Amino acid sequence: MRFWKRKKNRACVVGLDGVPIGLLQRLAAEGVMPRTAAIISGGGLRAMRASLPPISSVSWSCFMTGANPAEHGIFGFTDVAPGSYQLRFPTFGDLAVPTFWDELGKKGKRCAVLNQPATYPAREFPGALVSGFVALQLSNSVWPKSHLPALEQIGYRIDVDSKEARENADGLLDDLEATLRTRRQAAGYFWKQEEWDYFQVVVTGTDRLHHFLWRAVEDPDDPRHERVMRYYHTVDEFIGGLWDRFHEGRSGDREGEGFIMLSDHGFTGLRRDVRLNAWLRDNGYLSYAVDEPASIADIDPEKTRAFALDPGRIHVNTKGRFVGGSVAPDDVPALRQELAERLTALVCEGEPAVERIFTREEAFRGPKTELAADLVLISHDGFDLKGTTKGDDVFAPSHFQGMHTWSDAFLWTLLPMSDDPDVSDPASHIMQWVLG
Amino acid sequence: MPKGFTLWFTGLSGSGKSTLAERVRDTLLERGMKVEVLDGDEVRTNLSKGLGFSKEDRDTNIRRIGWVCHLLTRNEVVAISAAISPYKAIRDENRKLIGRFVEVFCKCDIDTLKDRDPKGLYEKALNGEIKNFTGVSDPYEAPDKPEVIVDTACEDIEVSVNRIIATLEQLNYIPAGDGRGYSEEEEESIKQRLKDLGYI
Repeated sequence: MRFWKRKKNRACVVGLDGVPIGLLQRLAAEGVMPRTAAIISGGGLRAMRASLPPISSVSWSCFMTGANPAEHGIFGFTDVAPGSYQLRFPTFGDLAVPTFWDELGKKGKRCAVLNQPATYPAREFPGALVSGFVALQLSNSVWPKSHLPALEQIGYRIDVDSKEARENADGLLDDLEATLRTRRQAAGYFWKQEEWDYFQVVVTGTDRLHHFLWRAVEDPDDPRHERVMRYYHTVDEFIGGLWDRFHEGRSGDREGEGFIMLSDHGFTGLRRDVRLNAWLRDNGYLSYAVDEPASIADIDPEKTRAFALDPGRIHVNTKGRFVGGSVAPDDVPALRQELAERLTALVCEGEPAVERIFTREEAFRGPKTELAADLVLISHDGFDLKGTTKGDDVFAPSHFQGMHTWSDAFLWTLLPMSDDPDVSDPASHIMQWVLG
Repeated sequence: MPKGFTLWFTGLSGSGKSTLAERVRDTLLERGMKVEVLDGDEVRTNLSKGLGFSKEDRDTNIRRIGWVCHLLTRNEVVAISAAISPYKAIRDENRKLIGRFVEVFCKCDIDTLKDRDPKGLYEKALNGEIKNFTGVSDPYEAPDKPEVIVDTACEDIEVSVNRIIATLEQLNYIPAGDGRGYSEEEEESIKQRLKDLGYI
């Protein structure tokens, strides 16, 4: 009789923020990302739906909990504070359900998670956590704090300077490269330092790149195209390095099993901002109490039947839901339908701006459904649905080049998973794998 | 200065109401708030001494607790009630009376409660030694729309406490605490970051 030790299943997850499946396939096919090309060549790549709305804080919260926004409680980067119309900014503490890392921790597994958006401020964690966007200070982004000196020594950068990025495209590329460099160093540190069962790193530079320099990604004639491709090549080398380390000394495993890559939403080129609050005001649904509204807090609640929050979230100003609610609950369905019909018909230079509209009940399921927007709008490519209260024109040029998309995030895995996944789907499968 | 409110725990015996009430009380005390806990078992030994477990007596007990919570709340104290409070109508009556009322449903399946049974009550109730025992021989009406549901059968106490505190912060009943919410300065920085990326 032989004594044997049960083999541990480990997982390594690489997040590429804001990378659409089409771009990944193209960069792989064109030789910009050869390591990724080799990984995906054996199958396992599929398109994945992002959260509604398709933004990082919501999508990553879905990924890390396996739950719907009406369960985990994160509906956007902003929400309306109870008892007022002031904007509030949800924190990691607002996440209403445990992450799957917490669940793994309860079963004795350890996780090392680096640069995870929507986890700021960092809190008690079964292993090591470094928060990503919108993390402010590094000191509040690290759990346990014992890792802080090592990260400081690396010169770890949480994110690029987006304010600077708008003014200086070459400076942004310098910043992206430097940030990725420190991310790789930090990943190497945690890989060795932590005895992990689950390892994850998210590259957020891809999202920043797409916001500011999408044209350089898409257009080979753009003067910065080559440098942007070099950035992607560096990302690919990072992925390849993680792949190699993941397989070191594990020859008995099926290659790639437990290694997962995904994005939290897709991206496309941006042609026009669509200011939904300007449209609501022009069409008699919204009124401001001041001449120059700074935010939704400046609406005149009595004269406002609906207002929009970023991105594409329309709330009916319902009595009982909002402090100055003006619409009786019985009138909400008809108003929703009216808004949906009129917004579907919204046209910019002959082209429809809105592709699809989800009602709250279609988009959300869970105990917090009543806190969700009444309608969530998905635009046609090129039309970025904004919740700003500034500006008179409904359609306006943007100083950004790219915008998020909903249905073309990607997932690559060899674990048995749906061919038509939603970003909430991988959590349970990854857990099952790690728990063996 | 923060105003008072009532945090009303409801759930079957052994579902974690008293434990959570104590933990939440400690957190609120640390944040400099005035807090009073009205624990169901303690109330029955003084405020409601002599009352039994008929529906009428149970309703009287819960109305009394509600009245004391009402007085505490209007005097800017945080009142925490941790009694089974099985009937929805009486809880709703208290909600109406108090106004600033946050209901926490301590959900826990009966099998877990039987296993847990810290006071040995389920065993006695199942053996017929205790009559009118909620969840076994007396009804329990779960709330339709509590502000917080904590599943104490599978959640860690820490997670439940954090969720209750987060809800109180979200409702603006308590100021955001260390590491949980943002200071005004941090909020400005976050706003700027979101603007820089076109997210607001």
